[in-house]
Amino acid sequence: MTNDKWDPNKKFQLPEIVETPSRFRNTIGKYIIRRNARCVSCGLCAELCPCGVHPRYENYVLPLRPLAHKCMGFECKENDFFCVDRCPEKALTLKVNPILETLGDYRWPSEMLIAHWEMAETGNLPKVGLEHSLGCSGGGFDKIRFRPAESDKYPDISDEDIDTSVRLNKRGDGRPEKTISIPCYGGGMSYGSTALSVMVSRARAAARLDTLTCTGEGGYPLDLLPFKEHVITQLATGLFGVREETIQFAPVVEFKYAQGAKPGLGGHLLGDKVTANVAAMRETVKGNALFSPFPFHSVYSVEDHKKHVDWVKEINPEVLVSVKVSTPTDVDMVAVGSYHAGAHIIHIDGSYGGTGAAPDIAKKNIAMPIEYAIPKVHKFLTDEGVRDEICLIASGGIRNATDVVKAIALGADGVVIGTAELVALECVRCGNCESGRGCARGIASTDPELGEMITRDWSEQRIINMYMAWRKQWCEILRTYGMRSIRELRGRTDLLVHLDYLDESERIKYKPAPMKQMII
Amino acid sequence: MRHDYEAIINKILDSRVRLPHGDVPVKKAAEEGGCGVTGFISSIPVGGRHIFEPSLQMHNRGNGKGGGIAALGLSALNMGVSQEVLDTHYLLQIALLDPNSRGNVESSHIEPFLEVHKAEQVPSIDDYRDIEGLEIRPPDVWRYFVRVKKDVLDRFADENKLQDMDPHKAEDEFIWQNSFRLNRKYYASLEDKQAFVLSHGRNIMILKIVGYAEQVAQYYCLDDFKAHGWIAHQRYPTRGRLWHPGGAHPFIGLDEALVHNGDFANYHAVSEYLQQHNIFPQFLTDTEVSVLLLDLMNRTFDYPMEYIIEAMAPTTEYDFDMLSSEKQRIYRYIQSSHIQGSPDGPWFFIIARNDPYNKEFQLIGITDTAMLRPQVFALQEGEVQIGLLCSEKQAIDATLQSLAAEDSRFCPIADKYWNSRGGSAADGGAFIFTVRDSGKGDGSKELVCTNKFGQVVRTSENQKHPGTDADLSAPANAEQISLTASEGLETHYFTDFKEYCRKNMADWNYASLRHFCDEIRRLSETSSRLRTKAIEVLTHLNDRRYPVGDKKRSSVLRMIRDALTGIFDACPGLNENSSSAYRYIDWDTRNTLRTPHDNEKVLVLNAGAFPPEGDDCDARLICAAYETGWKQFICYGYKGQRFCGCGLSKGSDCVRIDVYDSSGDYLASGIDGLEIFVHDNAQDQLGQIMKHGKLVVYGDVGQTFMYGAKGGDVFVMGNAAGRPLINAVGRPRVVINGTCLDYLAESFMAGDPLNGGGFVVLNGVEFGEDGNVISQATPYPGSNLFSLASGGAIYLRDPHKKVVEDQLNGGQFVDLSQADWDLILPYLEENQRLFGISIENDLLTTNRGKKSYKDVYRKIQAVTLDILAKESAASEEYGEDWQEDANGDLPN
Repeated sequence: MTNDKWDPNKKFQLPEIVETPSRFRNTIGKYIIRRNARCVSCGLCAELCPCGVHPRYENYVLPLRPLAHKCMGFECKENDFFCVDRCPEKALTLKVNPILETLGDYRWPSEMLIAHWEMAETGNLPKVGLEHSLGCSGGGFDKIRFRPAESDKYPDISDEDIDTSVRLNKRGDGRPEKTISIPCYGGGMSYGSTALSVMVSRARAAARLDTLTCTGEGGYPLDLLPFKEHVITQLATGLFGVREETIQFAPVVEFKYAQGAKPGLGGHLLGDKVTANVAAMRETVKGNALFSPFPFHSVYSVEDHKKHVDWVKEINPEVLVSVKVSTPTDVDMVAVGSYHAGAHIIHIDGSYGGTGAAPDIAKKNIAMPIEYAIPKVHKFLTDEGVRDEICLIASGGIRNATDVVKAIALGADGVVIGTAELVALECVRCGNCESGRGCARGIASTDPELGEMITRDWSEQRIINMYMAWRKQWCEILRTYGMRSIRELRGRTDLLVHLDYLDESERIKYKPAPMKQMII
Repeated sequence: MRHDYEAIINKILDSRVRLPHGDVPVKKAAEEGGCGVTGFISSIPVGGRHIFEPSLQMHNRGNGKGGGIAALGLSALNMGVSQEVLDTHYLLQIALLDPNSRGNVESSHIEPFLEVHKAEQVPSIDDYRDIEGLEIRPPDVWRYFVRVKKDVLDRFADENKLQDMDPHKAEDEFIWQNSFRLNRKYYASLEDKQAFVLSHGRNIMILKIVGYAEQVAQYYCLDDFKAHGWIAHQRYPTRGRLWHPGGAHPFIGLDEALVHNGDFANYHAVSEYLQQHNIFPQFLTDTEVSVLLLDLMNRTFDYPMEYIIEAMAPTTEYDFDMLSSEKQRIYRYIQSSHIQGSPDGPWFFIIARNDPYNKEFQLIGITDTAMLRPQVFALQEGEVQIGLLCSEKQAIDATLQSLAAEDSRFCPIADKYWNSRGGSAADGGAFIFTVRDSGKGDGSKELVCTNKFGQVVRTSENQKHPGTDADLSAPANAEQISLTASEGLETHYFTDFKEYCRKNMADWNYASLRHFCDEIRRLSETSSRLRTKAIEVLTHLNDRRYPVGDKKRSSVLRMIRDALTGIFDACPGLNENSSSAYRYIDWDTRNTLRTPHDNEKVLVLNAGAFPPEGDDCDARLICAAYETGWKQFICYGYKGQRFCGCGLSKGSDCVRIDVYDSSGDYLASGIDGLEIFVHDNAQDQLGQIMKHGKLVVYGDVGQTFMYGAKGGDVFVMGNAAGRPLINAVGRPRVVINGTCLDYLAESFMAGDPLNGGGFVVLNGVEFGEDGNVISQATPYPGSNLFSLASGGAIYLRDPHKKVVEDQLNGGQFVDLSQADWDLILPYLEENQRLFGISIENDLLTTNRGKKSYKDVYRKIQAVTLDILAKESAASEEYGEDWQEDANGDLPN
């Protein structure tokens, strides 16, 4: 599909996976396995279980609480090592964790959350039977499937030999030829919306994964400087914390015109979250909500936009420019306009994205779903003859590894990930990000205490682990189609089906989208 | 009477029912950007070459996918017809996209209905490829001077019961409908477009191509083609591939050509409104619907121009309250009938209009109520008069320079430049330049500028531009002036010398001034020391306001600036062997840049030939020079080059840049330490995200000044246009001596000014004709002053308490404390030093004598707003009424 030849000599050195368990005492898992008082601590279960559910230490004979999240559950029944059956004292019971009923939402159901926690812990696909790639939304990526490969030829390409890199500058305009090694980079989440340790660890992870992350519009904490080659400076409508210096630090500057979660609204940070530190970073007043204007006041047309882009290019002659827009019906025109204005990356942000801070009225009602926007823009750019000169990045509700490759097959070069990275840090998607500083998991909080619930080492590794698990899934899919590079997948809509547009006879060949009534 | 109007309106509208139209698509044909527009109208006809330079300079506002030009008030000689034919016949110009379609077009839409006085092909150069960068062959254009055949017109009137109508107006309608049918048949209904009408008005013509506007002038050989008024448009459609210029501007009404900068949010609503009046867009652009709307209100509804402007850009909010009750009554009717159909979003129209019924040519500029597009108006009055309006001031200057080079009656600097605020109660935000017979009986014409309300905008009548060359020959007091100049530059009392020159300016005639400037310039070449002083004294005379006697200030400035330019041009290049502290660099010598030697202090950069942006722009050269060690810059010759001073980043505290001539957008945006002095008006987007440093502007600044700024000390001698200091944080400290149009310091978040935060001092003064400081009618005319601000303060010089609570949105007035005064006083002192605006005699003195600071200044500070300080999840989800609703207070 593309002329970009992958250079096998520039093989990406995969970062090391390190097992990184939950920072909480009890990891949430799909099943609960309980040990009752009849247990005599014979140690049989520990010997039997290959998943390490029953820890047991030498020189310590008392029974320990089972690590239930590692349990494969009722599937294990067939095995001769099924501990519940084999326990001589019948001291073990197994049940589905009732928390599943209340955890998550239609787009991020409980199993997807738990699966991602596990990927972030182990760097591998979950062993437990968890649906990690389909949600219950009843549409969107949940109804899109990959066709089975026509040939069952299974080229023996190792993961290391598969290229998952994306070129960010295709214009050949003399600016740096920047490549990221995975088809994802981190979305903008500002200092203020998330804890400093989260920002820094995202940057550290981006550096080790050889990709990028983004400051959001809350300024550029100097803790990020050691990783500046991997940090995008976002220039959003409030211009908070943006200085010439921060534009010069960055390899890529992202203009945030709109967010798919709330097109027509600027970023906002409510008063409670504007702590003294946040206010200092943005040079504003503590305790006062910060609303970014909905437009750039200096940009009301495409030639204003070009001027804006030229300005940033003048300040930093090495920088690449990304333009982030939401997905109105004329997003294709916007994209081609941005190309002509000199952008290297056009970043379209669809309507599913956004953390809890985006108002529901916007989040649930405006902008085009991303799976419609990507092919529309891809096709239009192709028709205009400029597709191979611009990098098309999609975002907004891309939750998992399969969504990533679906987006690429629809026509994107790569995607931007926001929420999933937070899920790797054990976000439970409670959706209360906006309410004060009290993120229950200490992620979306700048409270001096809550914000330190996360250590940088831990969260860096969790994010890396999750992406490494994702990479395994991408490689799997690419191998299925005999592809060596993820670039070959771009725009291959012929490999996709949408369940709604299939005949019944065809549709039954695919796994139906899970549909569950949820308590929200 | 009212009944008659209505009857005729209905008959006209009914007559259009029969027009063929198919399904009109809901969407625009293409998205387009704001584009670049320029226009001027003069009391004498001038050649098309003068639209060339401003168009060229606004290249970067278009993308070469559509350019167009309209000419108004043409020359009978150029057209090869008699003046009578030119005045009375419709000048039908048809673009033949398919050259073979002419026969069909003529036999179907011209021959049966129209009496053709003259038909010819519009001359063009032989091969379009001779014009560099022109990729698509412009259409062949045929031109016909026509009247409607008598019997055809009678039949038309009978069929549509228009016998009561003025037959000329019925003829207008026929011409319009005929063009509509032609466009339908050969353009709108076809995939492969064949032909369309470019223009059909009297004494006005339009040409457009796929390319840049100046290429229109080149291709159709308009250099020497004379007309009173010219407008040009650089289009910026976002679609890449176009093969015909159907969507390019200008578009026609009947005798009007309209160009448009911006785009509508409600294209669909406007086009639906038109469809309700049996008008169907064919080219599917914002601009077409705008001109159709204008034509509907002009020809069908017969509205006066004031009401048309009101219908397009309604007067709202505080401005509406400021209108007289009589105006309010009428405007309320207009708004209730038209506000749904009025264009919403950013737009700025330039309309060239021939009003054959009143024998007037007009150039009209209308700004939208939100004033979201850049625009500058300018006026020059002398032996000849000219009115100009453009997207950027530099394009105005380019036009005037082009004219002045050809005809000494024009001065390269306008007498007056101003921005307008759409929907303003003071001037309506729209200005009309009218060219009409001067009444002298010699066929000469005069130009009058009026605002929306018909009030005349004029410059001083007592002051004159230099007339003949005799005015400039050696003056009688030449020797004395030479002595003054040479002694002055040597004196230890240099400040006194500057003052002396300033005070003498009123008495000197042009010849003396010219001689003085020449002398200073000659002396400057003798040593670096004198060069410094020469630049200083001339810059002082350029910057400050003082009485100029019977001379025009613009002509005085022209001489001073010519002298300065001469001094700068004469600085030795970097390769030259010289001990001068000044070193010259320009586009041709840019590769000579090197580290400064010990004695070399100032890099003199002639920015004229540099591209306005991109890797080779002059702003990048400044960065490169700074990196090699240059700290002081004089930059001149600007023609709108952008980003001056950007990119030096933190630690540039010792750098100073002096900027002369027409500097461009984004000047000083982001500066973090350096000082920039702008010795003229500045353009848009100055000082965005500025962090630290000093910016002084000896003139006005344009839109979105200091958006998102974090700090810096800033002094503006004149006005700021719309939306200054939005979202500014940190500690910006700004003195604006004039006023701001609207949204000053919206969402200002600059801490506590008494504790290191930021503030704006708004003095609300201007300079009178003799350079004296006078108070403006109100220090702040608009609304939304300091709205939703959470920090910082505005210190408003408002001795008569003209600004009222209604103009605020969230702020509050409080009395000034001693601490406040102590805070702003040093800034006012610096302001006094820079601009000569005295604290004691100007700022604290009102028409009722000297006052205390407490009686003159008012402080506006932020109040803690519930909406900002806390917001419940519920009110965000369900709106503020949620709690009432939840209590069962829902109305049934």
